[in-house]
Amino acid sequence: MSAARQAIKVGTKNVRPVLSVNHGEAKRRVLNLYKAWYRQIPYLVKDYDMPKSEEQCREKLKEMFLNNKHVSDIRVIDMLVIKGQMELKEAVNLWKQKGHMMAYFKPTEEPKPKDFLSKFFSSNE
Amino acid sequence: MAAANLVRSAFSGLLRKSTTFRTPVTCRLSTVALQQKFRAAITLAKAHNAHQLQNEVQCQRIQQYSGGAPKLSPQQIEDRVMKVCKAYDKLCGRQLSVDSHFMTDLGLDSLDHVEVIMAMEDEFGFEIPDGDAERLVRPRDIIQYIADKEDVYE
Repeated sequence: MSAARQAIKVGTKNVRPVLSVNHGEAKRRVLNLYKAWYRQIPYLVKDYDMPKSEEQCREKLKEMFLNNKHVSDIRVIDMLVIKGQMELKEAVNLWKQKGHMMAYFKPTEEPKPKDFLSKFFSSNE
Repeated sequence: MAAANLVRSAFSGLLRKSTTFRTPVTCRLSTVALQQKFRAAITLAKAHNAHQLQNEVQCQRIQQYSGGAPKLSPQQIEDRVMKVCKAYDKLCGRQLSVDSHFMTDLGLDSLDHVEVIMAMEDEFGFEIPDGDAERLVRPRDIIQYIADKEDVYE
């Protein structure tokens, strides 16, 4: 009986929050980060001399935020926001280099083969 | 005590060196300059006061660097808000009315909504805090918010 109670206790354990205590706050942090990145895009394009338009960068930014849209754990969201802020700081302070910025666009990554023959060729390499 | 010593040493220096007698002359020159400046300052202050006292009534002078934008009318605010909404690329060509909800009616996600709010900030030239931004879900809310901010009433 006590073991079962113990199990329930473990199952409903309250964890220490990283930054936010509820979903609303976490969402606000995410949107705030998005806003900060969005506002910095024109300067980043100029500073890093990126061969991309602001429009393309905005699309990429949105895509990168939407990559994590399935995340529902508040602590994970907070951690991602912290990482995003660190990356923004690195980008804004020019601690990154052009290659780091262009790596977001994965220019050297080839798309995975779809049809049978190209899969066959790539597996034989 | 230290100050008295300083004065005494300065005085003795004055007596000892003949070159130091030149200093009073420069002093007098500088006071003339100061007096001239003082007269200019007085006239400036008078002009300033004359400007401030219009029709014998003390009026507060407000310095406006851009010549002062004319006050918006509610209709102008609505036009500008709707123009910004229409200019947003995911909303152009959609049936857009003042009461349509950005998320449920127009199918924007929260990131798009943030972009619309940022476009409003750019258009009207002030920042909307996050807490207020999440409540502005219809163009009508935005119009109302901006009217409150700019002190515009019907």
